Amino acid sequence: MADVKITSVTKKFGDVFAVNNFNALIKDGEFVSILGPSGCGKTTMLRMIAGFERATEGEIAIGDQIVSKSDAGIFVPPEKRHIGMVFQSYAVWPHMNVFDNVAYPLKIQKVPADKLKERTEQALDLVHLAEYAARFPNQLSGGQQQRVALARALVAEPGLLLLDEPLSNLDAKLRESMRFEIKELQKKLGITVVYVTHDQAEAMAMSDRIIVMHKGVIQQVDEPIRVYEHPANPIVADFIGLVNFLEGEAAAGQIQFKALGCGIPANVSFEGPARVAVRPEHIRISKTDGYLRGKLVNKFYLGDSTDCRVLVGDTELRVIDRGAAFAEYSDGEDVFLSFGHVMAFPK
Amino acid sequence: MGKKWLPQWDTKWMLILTAVASLVVFVVLPMLYLVYKSFIINGTLDIHHYQTVYSKVVNWNALSNTLKISLYSTILAVVISFPLAWLIGRTDLPWKGFFRTLFVATYMIPPYVGAIAWIQLLNPRVGYVNKFLVENLHLAEAPFNIYSMTGMVWCLTLFYAPFAFITISRAMEKMDPTLEEASRVSGASPLRTLWNVTIPLMYPSILAGGILVFIGVASAFGTPSIVGMPANIEVLTTRIVTYIYMGDTKGIQEATALAVSLMLAANGLLYLSMFGLGKKEYVTIGGKSTRPNLVELGKWKWPAFSIVMGYGAISVFLPIGSVLVTSLIKSMSRPVTWDNLTLATWKAALENTQYTEPLMNSFILAIAAATIATIIGIFIAYLLMKTKAKGRKIPDALATLGGATPGIVIALALIITFSGNFGLNLYSTMTILVVGYIVKYLTMSVRTISASLSQVHPSLEEAALNSGASWLQSLRDIMWPLIRPSVVAGWFLVFMPSFYELTMSIILYGSQTKTIGVLLYELQTYADPQDASVLAVIILLIVLVGNLALRKVSRGQIGI
Ligand SMILES: Nc1ncnc2c1ncn2[C@@H]1O[C@H](COP(=O)(O)OP(=O)(O)O)[C@@H](O)[C@H]1O
Ligand SMILES: [Mg+2]
Repeated sequence: MADVKITSVTKKFGDVFAVNNFNALIKDGEFVSILGPSGCGKTTMLRMIAGFERATEGEIAIGDQIVSKSDAGIFVPPEKRHIGMVFQSYAVWPHMNVFDNVAYPLKIQKVPADKLKERTEQALDLVHLAEYAARFPNQLSGGQQQRVALARALVAEPGLLLLDEPLSNLDAKLRESMRFEIKELQKKLGITVVYVTHDQAEAMAMSDRIIVMHKGVIQQVDEPIRVYEHPANPIVADFIGLVNFLEGEAAAGQIQFKALGCGIPANVSFEGPARVAVRPEHIRISKTDGYLRGKLVNKFYLGDSTDCRVLVGDTELRVIDRGAAFAEYSDGEDVFLSFGHVMAFPK
Repeated sequence: MGKKWLPQWDTKWMLILTAVASLVVFVVLPMLYLVYKSFIINGTLDIHHYQTVYSKVVNWNALSNTLKISLYSTILAVVISFPLAWLIGRTDLPWKGFFRTLFVATYMIPPYVGAIAWIQLLNPRVGYVNKFLVENLHLAEAPFNIYSMTGMVWCLTLFYAPFAFITISRAMEKMDPTLEEASRVSGASPLRTLWNVTIPLMYPSILAGGILVFIGVASAFGTPSIVGMPANIEVLTTRIVTYIYMGDTKGIQEATALAVSLMLAANGLLYLSMFGLGKKEYVTIGGKSTRPNLVELGKWKWPAFSIVMGYGAISVFLPIGSVLVTSLIKSMSRPVTWDNLTLATWKAALENTQYTEPLMNSFILAIAAATIATIIGIFIAYLLMKTKAKGRKIPDALATLGGATPGIVIALALIITFSGNFGLNLYSTMTILVVGYIVKYLTMSVRTISASLSQVHPSLEEAALNSGASWLQSLRDIMWPLIRPSVVAGWFLVFMPSFYELTMSIILYGSQTKTIGVLLYELQTYADPQDASVLAVIILLIVLVGNLALRKVSRGQIGI
């Protein structure tokens, strides 16, 4: 089907680098998310793959076709790239019914009528909209419209599917169920997917690999678990999940925290000043043991966990406890902390 | 508590009611009376007037000419406006901003000034273009004759096309560009996308724009009269004026029957476009949509630019240049050179009280109409947007009705209603002209003001009332500063068309109340093209200044 090879792609709007030296190799059948805060250039990158924006520099290849190479003047327009795309605003045509919307790519390809009907119905089945074929978009809910868009993107069996924040206009519950539905579809069809989102949970749940972007620059390309547990730099650590940042000094399998007046054993590959990130759920709170002593400032009950603020020296640490901390501790109480997983970055 | 509130709300409702009552007296009453007079003879229902009118071939011809001319102009206007709107709104055409301003601004040029200009350019004997072509291509005779059906359609199309252009452009700007992009990734070329997605989505606005052009052309009097009469081509409006000028009861009766026909056609179409299409208007889901992705014209860029530029030159610059040159020329029979230009015509015209008086009249009339329309407009807009009163939409609908009714119909209705019949004799007064302008253009100020009122959150006014302000005080201290730009803009939008109004004025003016439009019309028909050009240039200057003022007060929001 289609792998995607993006080599040194840069996009400038005037003097602004929307995307800066983007390199990625997306394998055939892989589900890759581009994740980053709003305005970091995700949409711009996706639209360059689709052919709606021209790269200022660099090369993009889909399968064995070079679709964009700025210095060679190669630029294949969107309609010749054989990709499927789902837009944030659905972009379902209001003047066509569901069937015609979905059948449109086949109609353009001049697929014979009987084949067209069969394949459109298959695509509608795939997204569970078979009985809505005759409806018009204004008679559908947001989620259903999004499914129409999905069926339309898939009907021509493209090798590559692009999605730009497809779930962000849906309500929270629907969003979660659609995540799984899209993932299931992708597995079933074996299609390559590039999925743009600013929602880390979405990216985590669905992707084989995540490309984390910040201000137009790739920060890390990795599997979800690696991105979460071994972020490449403080930016990624900060963007994905919650973290406490501490200043420390790395030396010989140890990190010393001056502010906390203690050190912890850690497996670090460098020596010298370090920026250390610890996730709140990787800090254990205890009444009796731990290598850090602190005072519980306050705590919030979150149902499945307790969100605590603990003052160690003059550093406030956020701790999330999955146990019964809310009932067991009272504000102002002295507590002990120990770190599970820490992430250290040279400064 | 309750007692304290009561008097304040009374002021509010009294003012609103006064505004509404004036609408009823000056819009509803005359229209109903016109219809009544056309159907009722000696107290019984009788379609005799219609039988008489439609038994005459001239009237049938006029009706069929009106329909033909309106239809052709509409089709042409849409065929021109859609690609223009698309090129300007959706592609990387150079100078887009300039072109948008240019084509929107043409909307404010009175069509009859355009007609006068095109007569100067294309009349078969001395038209500038004809002379130029005959001399340079060594033709035996003039290639164009403006005095023809084609000539009428040409002038009307050029000057009513902006109605379609504005409507279509707005809809195109509102359309979600990803709808087109979805078609592109589905495998459709840009042209295919235009055909399958853009045009079908724009269809309601194309139709709405087309209907505006149709109604505008069918109601036009100046151009058909100036261009058509010399060729003996009559349309409904010219027939109506002829009947009214006959002056006797019979003439008025037949004019009435024709006018009601025209009114029903125009308002029926408007009704269709508002309610028939309203339901079909496609609402697209707003997302954080991407910036419109402009279609790259590539090798078509400069050819497209040349065509658009050419159209701009022909539709705007050529006619304006023509009246300007004509107003400055020494001798019409000699070629246009520097030493054949003079300010003498201007000087003579500006010293001639026969010209300056109508000019002053028009100023006074337009200022009065704009001011009164603005005051009434504020109350109607307030009623519409800021109250929950039952029937709050009715005054607005009446204002819209007035705006959509052909000027000639309004004028006739006012004459038969206020010539003493209802205790009010306004015949040949300034007042009746002002009333006519208000009826026709009130909708401009209502629309502009309600648009800005809708942006004022109700809590602002409630906070003022809570702080102990009376309703009038809250209006002055809270509302007024917020809506002032649009109120001023609305004032200009009434002032400008009132200033150069022709169709109603030609029926409503008296010997003491001649307007600049009427004067210009007379000069044109009595073949004094140079003085006519001076007045035409003055009108164009007023339009230009008015537009600049409008842009300034509304900070480019309501730029015409
Ligand atoms: N057509 C454009 N013209 C100018 N700047 C743009 C355009 N499109 C995007 N940008 C800028 O490029 C940057 C990246 O935008 P985008 O790719 O939409 O971000 P994201 O999708 O990650 O939120 C932003 O700063 C945005 O303002
Ligand atoms: Mg985006």
